Amino acid sequence: MTYFKRFLVIFISGTVQVFFAAYLMLELLGLSLGWHLLNHNIMFVPGVLVFLGAAYLTLSYYYLDTNKINNALYDEFTALRAYKLGSIGYGLNGMGIFILFSIQDWSNWSFQMANSMIYQIAAFAWLVFGVLLVSFSIGDYQESKSG
Amino acid sequence: MGKSHEKLLNNLEELRKSTGLTQQELSESAEVSRKSINAIENGIYVPSTVLALKISKTLGCKVENIFELP
Repeated sequence: MTYFKRFLVIFISGTVQVFFAAYLMLELLGLSLGWHLLNHNIMFVPGVLVFLGAAYLTLSYYYLDTNKINNALYDEFTALRAYKLGSIGYGLNGMGIFILFSIQDWSNWSFQMANSMIYQIAAFAWLVFGVLLVSFSIGDYQESKSG
Repeated sequence: MGKSHEKLLNNLEELRKSTGLTQQELSESAEVSRKSINAIENGIYVPSTVLALKISKTLGCKVENIFELP
């Protein structure tokens, strides 16, 4: 594993998630894009990518790489970056959920609307997670080159 | 003292250069990434106790010689 390979794995997973989550978010909020995904099974792609990416990173850490490489790739400075981004994501999710609650039509509340709101929250959390992955991958790789 | 964090002054760059080590060599010996060493030298990052002790061991000096409170 190298910084570049890690960048590719996380960046691709994150970008694909951002695309699908943003699409789903816009659809759920009723903002028509003018086009629709024809095959809904394709919505599994981002999840599969994250699963495969995480599996590859884990395998390389435990079985493929030397301690020297792992020490560099997973040191405390990198962990701090992950913690900070995680905190930002937590905050963004909180604000997003607050906004999604605020824009609901509570006067005509129904199970259907509750279901829709849950999907909106899930899509928003998914979008934030994707943005965090992209942000982490870019910052991490830039620092490995020039930091 | 070089470029330091607001809560911790450090002399790392000077001491590292005096021992003839590169950032890469020091990072390998201290078991971290080169960017961690760079971040400490530039006052961006405050290292953990374990890392500070590993760096001081590599440089052959006391932690107090590398880091001090402002």
